[in-house]
Order: sequence, then structure tokens, then C-alpha cells
Amino acid sequence: MSKPTRSRAESIARILPALDYTKIGLSLVIVFFFAFFISPIWTGFVTALKTTGAVTGTTPFIPPGPDGFTLEKWSVAFDYLSTGIVNSLVMSVPSTIASVFLGSIAAYGLTLVDWNERLQFSILVLFLVGIFIPYQAVLVPLSDFWINIVGVDDLIAPVAALPYFTARHSRLFAVTATHVVYAIPICMLLFRGYYMSLSDELIEAAKIDGASITTIYRRIVLPLSKPMIGVVFIYQFTMIWNEFLFSLTLIGSSSSPAATVTLVLSGLGSDLSGVDFGLRMAGAFVAALPTLIIYVLFAEQFAEGLASDN
Amino acid sequence: MANLSLRDATKTFDDDGDEIIAVDELNLEIEDGEFLVLVGPSGCGKSTTLRMVAGLETPTSGSINIGDEPIHHQTPQERDIAMVFQSYALYPHMTVYENMAFGLEESSDLSDEETEEQVNTAAEMLGITDLLGRKPGELSGGQQQRVALGRAIVRDPKVFLLDEPLANLDAKLRAEMRTELQQLQEDLGTTTIYVTHDQTEAMTMSDRIAILDGGMLQQVGTPMECYHEPANLFVAGFIGEPSMNFFDVTRADDVLVGDGFEYPLSEEMSASIDGTTELVLGIRPENVGIVERSSGPTVFPGVVDVIEPHGNENAVHLRFAESSTDETFTSTVDGMRHLTGGQQVGVSFPEDAVYLFDTATGDALRHRVVEDIEEVQEIGTR
Repeated sequence: MSKPTRSRAESIARILPALDYTKIGLSLVIVFFFAFFISPIWTGFVTALKTTGAVTGTTPFIPPGPDGFTLEKWSVAFDYLSTGIVNSLVMSVPSTIASVFLGSIAAYGLTLVDWNERLQFSILVLFLVGIFIPYQAVLVPLSDFWINIVGVDDLIAPVAALPYFTARHSRLFAVTATHVVYAIPICMLLFRGYYMSLSDELIEAAKIDGASITTIYRRIVLPLSKPMIGVVFIYQFTMIWNEFLFSLTLIGSSSSPAATVTLVLSGLGSDLSGVDFGLRMAGAFVAALPTLIIYVLFAEQFAEGLASDN
Repeated sequence: MANLSLRDATKTFDDDGDEIIAVDELNLEIEDGEFLVLVGPSGCGKSTTLRMVAGLETPTSGSINIGDEPIHHQTPQERDIAMVFQSYALYPHMTVYENMAFGLEESSDLSDEETEEQVNTAAEMLGITDLLGRKPGELSGGQQQRVALGRAIVRDPKVFLLDEPLANLDAKLRAEMRTELQQLQEDLGTTTIYVTHDQTEAMTMSDRIAILDGGMLQQVGTPMECYHEPANLFVAGFIGEPSMNFFDVTRADDVLVGDGFEYPLSEEMSASIDGTTELVLGIRPENVGIVERSSGPTVFPGVVDVIEPHGNENAVHLRFAESSTDETFTSTVDGMRHLTGGQQVGVSFPEDAVYLFDTATGDALRHRVVEDIEEVQEIGTR
């Protein structure tokens, strides 16, 4: 049998894979969204590397030329933000740890410990209501509570004697405590989903082995929560680090020695002479640095936690 | 010393206002060192019973005692019991050693050296010494099962509770573990309650079987008693594989009229059924004889339907030639015996092997005659 002869175009067409319009469409959508999400970050990043003249003289997303390039904005931003970063760390780390821990204990008590189911449910409802209280609604009562009722300024006055701290840092303490309280419900909810998926028999086996409620938590539940702790820690740290409204309400001014990084950032690069876009962009990146570091450190646990939660 | 007793133990669950009775006034006495198997279909209340003994469920009413001491108000932590779960419930983040030591650390005040010694002894007993450093996730199902057992025996409790511990193993391993578990329990001499839905496990492992259905105790007895002298229809049908053949019959003078056969009543049989007219006739497959079609009062014409070869024996599904329905019954015959589908045969129901039950109550009215029941029991008791 002889083979039919083919034209050159036919041969090429045979080698190429068949055009799949769905795949092409999908790729285009992916490219579009990639560009959509990456362009502001990219524009911000290149702007942060430009001199003030280059910012106004060039298209925003074009990288600076050799004469328009500077790292000066980064060092200025870092100088400006350094106390803010320290304050934010002093606030975020303890409040994240405390809220993760308390959220996990609350979830344990509401899922794996046997007691009055109706009461458990009522308390769960209270927690859920807590999640949906809008920030704006509590701002005035919140500052009234801390400043007039608790008298946080007098209460925490002794911390001013410590190195670095000043009398204004009492407000930072108030912000820290507020974040813990505000974060417990959502942390509880995240842990609750995870604990519900833990096998009941595991807890029952521990009970029969003679372990008390606290021992079961310490030796069984807490070690098994590691992946979820990673998820909640990242989530909570990011939320608290980026939070602005509580800091603004309780600390007030961006020039306060207790101002958090978000508060300082709000005043950065704008003065009577106009807005320094390069500085603002550099500041934004510097302020976001700790959250990026946390993501990298906990990435593995984060992925594991998300996978096991589904 | 550690005999366990349940008195009128009842557990009800509330299901949106409806009360579901899981266990209904259960009375059980388990002797010290005895191996009792709780058996029944799923949902019969056997696991609930076990969980009440463990303290994971509180009885709605009734009492549970170890020796003379009532334990039903105690928490699981206070009871000196160990339990093996169907899912094994090993602590996934701990090594095998830590898994086994956990119970000792929590329930006793042994020193670290003593704990180590006990764990090592138990591990040796089960042949898992070389697994002590591994995590449960790195073990096969059979190995995990051994660790779960090890976790229970290391504590040397008063009572062992085993909840379908072999259900997740493959058939071959299950048969091996059956013997091994039985041997282990005999060596330790610990009072044991074993829950299963598998009647083979119940028959082969237990000193006594307790059969439950619908939350109610049907019968307690040695495997041989339950097999040869079932208290009612349920027990007769549940114990034995393949299960007993049942035929609905009506008494007409001195014959029992069934669908496709008429069974002549002997004097002894009529005496045992008294005045009951609606009955169920039962006969175990191994007692159904396949013979020549000949005259004989207890031989009926039958037709071979399907043959399932098992090697050493064949399970033969038969129909009565004169039956109005397609319903079949089973006979087990020697594996070498040649039969073909559609073959015309005679089916013999020897009088000695026939059980009679009251249709209305399900109670057994007449058991098969076992000439030397004493000797049979002798073999049946370990």
C-alpha cells in the first residue's frame, strides 16, 4: 500500500497540536488577572526606586533610568518607620500569641469537652455575634472604656520606667488588649472547624487512659493543632499588623512615640510641599516586610493547615 | 475479684423529642477472667453497652459494678479499664512507645524506669519491640492494631473492652489475630468484653456469647449452647454460617403443612409445641440431607438450584419440587459430591435436627436433639 502524498501545510498541521480554544481562553484570562493584580505592586515597587524628579517625569510603571534611580527613599522610610515597626511588633506578637492560644482553648471547650450542650451552643452564638460587631460601632465606647473607665494611662504608668517605653505606651497596651479580645471569636471559629474534624475516639482513648481535661488539651489536642496554629497565627498577625482604626482611636497621632507602623505610614511623605510618592511607596514596602517574613516562615504549616482543614 | 455486672442497664437517647432506646434493661454477669463476646447486628446496642462500661456514656438507669463497687457514676478516668477502639485511636503525634506509656503516666504514679519496663514487657509480648520508636502513621494496619492492644494491656486494667478491634484487618490477618487475641487473654486472665457483629468471631473466641438485638438481650451462653439450643428465632438465624433455614408451617393434626412439604409430627414434637398452630420450622444447612428420591416420611422431593463450591464443602441451594414460590434453602454437602443445577433429588430433614419456633413470639419450642450435649460442651469449653 502506498501512502497518500501530503502537502507541506498539511504536514505542519499534523505536527502542531490541535488548537484548543478553551485552553487559549483560559490562558488569556490567567494572563489578564496576573497583570491586573501584579501591576499596582510593580508600579509601587518601581516608583519607590525613583528620585522625586523621575517619579513625575516618567510613566509610573516604567523602571527608572540610571539617572532617575535611588535607594534613598528606602533608607528615609526605614528611619521614619523604625519606631513604628518596633511598636507594632511589641503590640502584634503578644496579642497574636494570646489570641491564638485563647481561641484554641475556647474552641476546645466548645467542641471536645463534654458538658451542657445547650449552654455550649449559646456560648458559641455569643462568639459568632462577636465576629460581626463592626469596628466603627465600638470606637467611641472603646476609647471611653480604656481612658476614662480603666484609666489605662495611670494603670500602666510604671512601664515608662522600662527602657525604650514612654508614658504614651500605655495606649499601645490598650490597643494590644483590644486586639486580643477582638480576635478571640474568629480564632475560636477557625480552631473549632479543625477540632470538629479530630476523631472523637482519640479524645475518648485519652480519657480512658486516665488523662484529665487539661492534660488532654496539653498533650493531645495542642500538639495536634500545629498546622492550624500556623494558619491562625499568619492570619491573625497580618490582621493585627495592618490594623489602623484602633491605633488611630487610642493612640491618636502619627507623631506619638507609641504610634504603630500603620499610623506612622499614614503621615509619611506628605507635607506642605506636596506628596512624595517614592517615599510613600518605599514606606509601604518596609511596613509590609514583617508580614512577608511571617508568610515565608510559616508557609509550610500554612499549606498543611489549609489542606487538612478541607 | 474483677467480675463485672450490669443490672437493668438502660440507655435512651433523645432524638428531637423522640426517645430512642439503645439498650433496654440489660442484665449481664461477667465472671472474673471471662472472655465475653457481645454480638448482634449493627444498631443493636452492643457498642452503647460497651461505652457505658467504659464511662463514655452514662446509663439512663440501672447500675454497673466491678466487684461490689458501683462504677456507673465514675468518670472514665476513675475506672480501671482499658479499651481498644475499632479505629485504634492511636495518638498520631506520639511514637509507639509514647502511645503505650501515656496511659501509665496519666493513670499511675510509676517512675520512668518502671513505666519503661512495663512498656517493654508488653511490647515483647506482642512482638512490637522494634516498632517502639516509630509513629503510628508509619505502621501497617496490623501493626497499628497490635499497638492499640499494647496500649491496653500495658496498664494491666481490671477489665478490657474491645470494640470490633479486628474489623479493619484483612481476612487472613483477622483469622490470625483471633487466635492470638484469645491466647493473650488467656495468658493475662483479664476480664474481657469483646464487641463484634461477626458471629464467627463470637463463636471462635468467646467463653460465653451475649446476643443482642434491638437493645435487648436475646441469649447468653457458651458458643455451643447458642448454636445448638438457640433461645429464639433471632439467635437461631444469627449464629451459624450459612444461617439456619426457616420455613413457615401450620399445624394440621399430626402434620406441619409448609409450602411444598408436609412434615409428620412425632409424639415428642407434638408435646413440645403444645397447642401452638403457627410455627416456624428451622434446620441447619449441614443437617439437610440430599438423598435419592424415595419414599420416607421426612424425605421430600426437591430440585437443585445453584451450587456454591467452597472446596471442602459445597453450599447447595435447593427448592421444593412442589413449592409455589421460587424460595430456596441451603444445604451443605461434602465438596467431592457431584451435583448439577436442575437435578431432581430428595431432601431429607431428620427429625433429630429439626427446630420449632412459635411464629408469634419467636421463642424456641423445640431444639434439635443433641445426644451427648455434655461431651459437646466439653469440646466447646477451653
